[in-house]
Amino acid sequence: MSLIPWRTKQREGEPTESSPLVTLRHEVDRLFDAFVREPFSAVDWPFAGLGKWSPTLDIAETDAEVSVRAELPGIDPKDLNVSVSGNQLVISGEKKESTEDCGKDFYHSESRYGTFRRCVTLPAEIDAENVDAQYTNGVLTLHLKKTQPAPTKRIEVKVK
Amino acid sequence: MANETTLTKPAAEEAAAAEHTRSGRFYRPHVDILEQPDELLVMADVPGARGDRIDVKFEDGSLSIHAEVDPRQSDDREYLLREYGVGDFYRTFRVSEAVDAGKISAEYADGVLTLHLPKAEAVRPRKIAVKTE
Repeated sequence: MSLIPWRTKQREGEPTESSPLVTLRHEVDRLFDAFVREPFSAVDWPFAGLGKWSPTLDIAETDAEVSVRAELPGIDPKDLNVSVSGNQLVISGEKKESTEDCGKDFYHSESRYGTFRRCVTLPAEIDAENVDAQYTNGVLTLHLKKTQPAPTKRIEVKVK
Repeated sequence: MANETTLTKPAAEEAAAAEHTRSGRFYRPHVDILEQPDELLVMADVPGARGDRIDVKFEDGSLSIHAEVDPRQSDDREYLLREYGVGDFYRTFRVSEAVDAGKISAEYADGVLTLHLPKAEAVRPRKIAVKTE
């Protein structure tokens, strides 16, 4: 997906984030961005696999770090996996139905269960040893320290 | 958009387009509703809310959930991707008389608010012993 700074402009009358139309629009945007950027790479296809879903994210950047916030309510932290390699961040896991033991007689079900995965290309290389991940009140917050880029060295061209 | 949800019979009925006097934007939390022999369970996803700032109210047969959430974004950083908006969680349910309103209880863990709505004595399933002579 493309990481282009977001314009902080709220439009009036816009449907709420959780509406199916907005979710579909995000999925299509993601698919389109992924295809435009890297048409032949292993794209994190949003529609791949029934029952799979991908969490919504906020990603912010400061000079020293990239911070990521994802709302993942009702997940056992043991079922949550975060991995970083280079500038690739993968958040995956599984939301298990907590009520399997009580007969599952749903009147009404809106939550998504099952495995989820989201893969993001970050704007900078990340120090994989220095990642801070916290899960509080159903929100996963990641602080990813950027690796210090080696200072650019100017190379003198000798003329003989 | 309708923020009122039906807990279909016998638990609750949809509240007719109730006016709400809340200002600002809010999100309608996703809920799962389960029926158990002696109670109804309502599980609402309210990630980011703090347990002490969730307000569950029962008034005039309507149950409302309002979970205050700290601003999800801060102004001091540049956002590369912003998929969450601003707003608290708010949703109301019309609860029928089949629920014993006085005994509704709630608990909160990992961003999920669980409400227990015990069924009134009159509608609980009862096993009737068959006498043999």
